[in-house]
Amino acid sequence: MSEQARAVGDRIAGVLLLLVAVAAWWLSYDYTSGFGQTVGPGAFPRLVSVPLGLLSIYLIARPGVNQRWPERAALVRQLCLLVLLMVYAGLIQPLGFLPTALLTVTLMIRLFGASWRQALPFGLLLTLGLYLLFEFALGMPLPDMPGLNG
Amino acid sequence: MELLGFLAQGLAVALEPQHLFLALAGCALGTLIGALPGLGPVNGVALMIPLTFNFNLTATAALILLVSLYYGCMYGGRISSILLNIPGDEPAMMTTLDGFPMAQQGRGGEALGLTGVASFVGALVATIGLVLFAPVLVNFAIRFGPAEYFALFVLAFATIGGVTGGHLAKSFLAACLGLLLGTVGIDAVSSVPRFTFGWYELYDGIDFIVALVGLFAISECLVFLEDSHQGRKPTMTLGSAMPGVRTAWQCRGSIGRSSLLGFIAGVLPGAGAALGSFLSYTLERRWQGARGHFGTGDPHGVAAPEAGNNAAAGGALIPMLSLGIPGSGTTAILLALLLSMNITPGPLLFENQPELVWGLVAALFIGNLMLLALNIPLVGLFARVLRAPGWFLMPMVIMVAFVGVYSLSNSAFDLYLMLAFGVLGYVLRKLEIPTVPVVLGLLLGGQMEYNLRRAMSISGGDWNIIWNSGISVGIYLFAIVLLLGGLLFHWLMKRGG
Repeated sequence: MSEQARAVGDRIAGVLLLLVAVAAWWLSYDYTSGFGQTVGPGAFPRLVSVPLGLLSIYLIARPGVNQRWPERAALVRQLCLLVLLMVYAGLIQPLGFLPTALLTVTLMIRLFGASWRQALPFGLLLTLGLYLLFEFALGMPLPDMPGLNG
Repeated sequence: MELLGFLAQGLAVALEPQHLFLALAGCALGTLIGALPGLGPVNGVALMIPLTFNFNLTATAALILLVSLYYGCMYGGRISSILLNIPGDEPAMMTTLDGFPMAQQGRGGEALGLTGVASFVGALVATIGLVLFAPVLVNFAIRFGPAEYFALFVLAFATIGGVTGGHLAKSFLAACLGLLLGTVGIDAVSSVPRFTFGWYELYDGIDFIVALVGLFAISECLVFLEDSHQGRKPTMTLGSAMPGVRTAWQCRGSIGRSSLLGFIAGVLPGAGAALGSFLSYTLERRWQGARGHFGTGDPHGVAAPEAGNNAAAGGALIPMLSLGIPGSGTTAILLALLLSMNITPGPLLFENQPELVWGLVAALFIGNLMLLALNIPLVGLFARVLRAPGWFLMPMVIMVAFVGVYSLSNSAFDLYLMLAFGVLGYVLRKLEIPTVPVVLGLLLGGQMEYNLRRAMSISGGDWNIIWNSGISVGIYLFAIVLLLGGLLFHWLMKRGG
C-alpha cells in the first residue's frame, strides 16, 4: 500500500512532464525563421522534448521513491510563507522597503516558530540591519517609501 | 618553469589588498554558511551572486570572493556534522558517521582540529592538482570545434546522474527540463521568441540567478518549515582543537589517500564533492579493516571524508575553468557567474586572461591558509553560530535572497518567478528528482544549442558532423564508459546493501 502511495507522486510528475514535452514538440513547429537556416530555432527544443517525453513515460511505468509529503499543518505554514512573500513582492514598489520588510519579516519570524515577544524586536532588528547593510555598507539603493525623498 | 612565472604573476594579483580582503571575507562567510545546517555551498554561492553584481566587482575579484566562499563552506560543513549530527551540507554527510560519536565522547574539539587539518591537506592537494592538470587539459581542448563542444555538453549531461546516485532517469529528466527552460526567451540567432506566451518579461529568458536562488534557497526554507525544528543545541564541552593536529599526524595515511581519491572524483564531470567524501570514507573503511572501529568515533573515519570532499571541491574547478564544463552544482553556479560577466571559461580563458586564472589559483592557496587559521584556533566562534535559532536565520536567508534578486532588475516579476522556482524546487526534492541538473540544463542549454547550430551550419545541415572527428567519438565513448560505470556502481551497491 505505502509502496503504491509513494509511486503516485512520480506518476503524476511523469504525466505532467510528458504533457510539457508534447507541448514543447508541438509549439516548436511555430518557431521558424525565414532565413533558410540549416537548423532553425525550433530544432533544439524539439531535440530535447524527445528524451524528455521518453523519460516521462519511463517514470510513469517504473516510478521510484518519493519523500514523505508534508502534513496539513506544515502545508498551511508553507502556503502562508508563499503568500507572505507574494505580498512583499506586491508591496515593495508602492510602499518602499522599510514598511514592507518590517511587516513581512516580523510575520515571517513568527511563522518560523518564534513568539510575538521575539518576533517584534527581532523583526525590527533584522529589517533595520538589512536596510543599513544594503543601503549604506553595500551601497545598493533599496526602494524608498514614497513621499520621503520627494 | 613557465608555470612558476604564472604563479608569481598570480600571487601579485591575489596579494592586492582588495583581493586579500575579499578572500578573507569569503573564507569567514563560507565557514559560517557551511556550518549552518541546511545551507551548503550551493546556497551560499547562490545567495552571494546577486550581491557581487551590485558591488560592481571585477570578474577576478568576484571569482576570488566566491571561490573562497566555496572552499570555506567545504570546511564549515563539518562543524554541525560533528557537533549536532546534522550535516551542514551534503558532502559533510559522511563526517557525521564518526564525527558525532567522537563529540559524544567529549572529543569534539579534537575532531574539529583533525578535520581542519584534513580539509587543509585535501584542498591543498586539489589546488596543486589544478595548477598541474588544468593547463594540460587546456592544451587538449584548444583543438575543439563546435561539434566537439557539443559532444562535451552531452558528456556533462550523460554523467550527471551516472555517478551521483538516485534514480538515473530522474537525473536525466531534470536535465531535459532545464534544457527546455533554457530555451525560453528570444532566440539569439533568429530573434524568434520561444515559449514566452506573450509575457514580455520572459523575452530576455529566465534569469539564471532568479531560478537558482529560488530552486535552492527558497525551497530550502520551505523544507525547513515542514518539521518544526526544536533546535538541537550542542551541549557537550568542546575542548581545545589543538590535540586534533597531533591526531591528524597519526591519520596522515588516510588523509593522503583520501585527498588523492577525492581529487579524482572531483575532476570527473557531474560527480562532485559528495561522491569524493563517500568514496574516501568507504575506501578507508576497507583499508583499515578490523583495525578500525568505524561508526563509533574512529578518527580515520572523520579525517577521510573531510580530506576527500575538500579535494573534490578543488578538483571540480578544473573542468569548469579549462573546459567550461562544471564538475558539480557549485561550480555550475561559478560558471554562470563568469558567463554573465561575459567571460567564457575554456582554453581561451587561460590565454586571454591569465591574470584571472592564476590570480584565482594564488588566491586559493592563500585562502586555504586563512581557512586553516580560522578553523583550528577560532573554530569555537563558528561553533557558536549553531546556537542561533532557525526562526531568525531562515527569514534572514529569504530577505537576502529577495533584496539581492530585486536589486538586479528592480522587477517584482523576478520575485514571483523566484517563488515559482522555489515551489518547483521543493516539489522536485520531494519527488527525489535532483535540482542540480535543472540548473545545469538551464545554464548550459544556450551554449549547447549554439554549438550545435554552428556545427550544422559548418557542415551545411549534415548531422554526421556530430560524430565525425576522433575527439568527439572519444568523448562519446568516455561518456558511455562513465555512464555504464555509474550503472554498475549502483547495481553493486544494491546487491551489497
